[in-house]
Amino acid sequence: MRVLVCVKRVPAPGAKINITADGQDVDAAHLGFTVSPHEECGVEEAVQLVEKHGGEATVLTLGPGDADEQLRYAASLGVQQAVLLQTDGTPWDPQATARAITTAIVDLESENGEPFDLVLFGNESADSGGFQVGVRVAHALERPMVNAIKGIELDLDNASVTAKREIDGGREIYEMATPAVLGVKEGINLPRYPTMRGRLASKKVEVKVVEVDPETGDQTRVTLQQPPEQVSNTVHLGDGPAAASAVVDVLDELGVL
Amino acid sequence: MTLDSIWVFGEIADGEASASTLELLTKARDLADEVAVVVAGDGDDIAEAAGAHGADTVYSVDCDDALVGVPMAAAIAAAIEAGDGPEAILFPTSYDARDTIARLAVKLDRPVITNCVDVEVDDDTLVGTEPIFGGQTNIKTKFTGEGPFLVSVRPKSFAAESADGDEASVSELDVPDLGGSGGATVTDRFAEESDGPKLDEAEVVVAGGRGMGDADKYQAVETLATSLGGAAGASRAIVDAGWVPYAYQVGQTGKVVKPNVYIAAGISGATQHLVGMKGSKHIIAINKDPEAPIFGVADLGIVGDVHKILPKLQEALEGR
Repeated sequence: MRVLVCVKRVPAPGAKINITADGQDVDAAHLGFTVSPHEECGVEEAVQLVEKHGGEATVLTLGPGDADEQLRYAASLGVQQAVLLQTDGTPWDPQATARAITTAIVDLESENGEPFDLVLFGNESADSGGFQVGVRVAHALERPMVNAIKGIELDLDNASVTAKREIDGGREIYEMATPAVLGVKEGINLPRYPTMRGRLASKKVEVKVVEVDPETGDQTRVTLQQPPEQVSNTVHLGDGPAAASAVVDVLDELGVL
Repeated sequence: MTLDSIWVFGEIADGEASASTLELLTKARDLADEVAVVVAGDGDDIAEAAGAHGADTVYSVDCDDALVGVPMAAAIAAAIEAGDGPEAILFPTSYDARDTIARLAVKLDRPVITNCVDVEVDDDTLVGTEPIFGGQTNIKTKFTGEGPFLVSVRPKSFAAESADGDEASVSELDVPDLGGSGGATVTDRFAEESDGPKLDEAEVVVAGGRGMGDADKYQAVETLATSLGGAAGASRAIVDAGWVPYAYQVGQTGKVVKPNVYIAAGISGATQHLVGMKGSKHIIAINKDPEAPIFGVADLGIVGDVHKILPKLQEALEGR
């Protein structure tokens, strides 16, 4: 069994983001970076699939040389192979990113002599949240793809996979033939922490580096702006249970009683 | 400045046009002379509402048991290739819409601008404004190539207003052969029962977070919501922890709500949550930590233990 998990290096969620003086880019000087939370679960899922079915897990990212850090983190959790599609650090749009990843998957599969049974993406990245790359790659590879997955059952004998997703007001179960592509969602599993042995092993993993150049997409960034800070003057209604009647008064005033 | 024609990716919920469909139609009729809506299912269900909100035409697409995005993208792409397509298509941010826009974009080899909170016409192209990093930064992006321009818009970015238009005409878009990407089929669907108003339509929302302690204690949130005739919501943390289903989630990856009153109980206010509720008219926050970010957007705050405050509040309500 072969599984590929694609991750993205993103600023730590919740960090204060500063913009460069020309309004064209994010000032990364004081930012910490991580893997998007959904993708962290994707890495865990890939490792669990290998534990259950045997075979090999590969992690792939497109980003600057520094994204080596995110690949080695995945390796420390148990992923065996790592691939870096190295850029000059400028942000790529989903169109260009998906093209480069598709090409890389085709190349890796021809080297391996067989397709990945599953390619996993995070449901969306933590920074731009476009929900694009996974679907685009799957479409280009002509493989079935379902997003927002919270449960995977792989049936190697029948070359099929069953995937569960939560939707507004219920759940849906999808079935598709492998090779397939899935976008996984946080909550599908609880990602493990790296062990000391894992960390040491991850330093020795050879990261395959492929230089990539963006094909120019048909869109252009106009500006980055900080939205006006929402100023709220919170009226302190009180402390503890004593404030309950004041809340009811307010609800009454607002006409919701 | 307007475009000649815009299509809206519409959705039918419980036999009616979804709120986002009507919001997007309202915007589309300002941006273009001709407006159509494309829906999976039976277009007759929404012809009247879509017409009233500015659509001239409803196109139905028969999706059967396929993952909606696959036949929808194929049908829209076929229409565009046949020369019957619009200059731009606006999508909401549901799973199916996100799926469709990505598939369509790769078929047509066009770029997309996703998660927009505003869309403007600039000469003969479109500019989308999208908040990134959980709303800390707005990015404006302009299409520079040929259309159709594909844009997805966050819920409640525009207010739906009827233009008292006539009922839209309904016709069918053919679905071509789906190829390898058509391989995923739905084998089962489970619906969860729910009473009371829908989370994104309720006048009052009471939401609970990690501070509620555990799944049993979260019940106090449901009880309060019911007494106020409102809906219960949740932060992502407790949805991921499995206390409540995904349908409860308020935030960047859940529902965007703008009720008259939003009560946040035991929610610290991570950016991802604030994005989904800060547009509420009146926000009341209850949290034991006076420094919690939720107080940064709250109109009214109570510092203290939710487990003591909610029962008192319930008692005081029932006393009226």
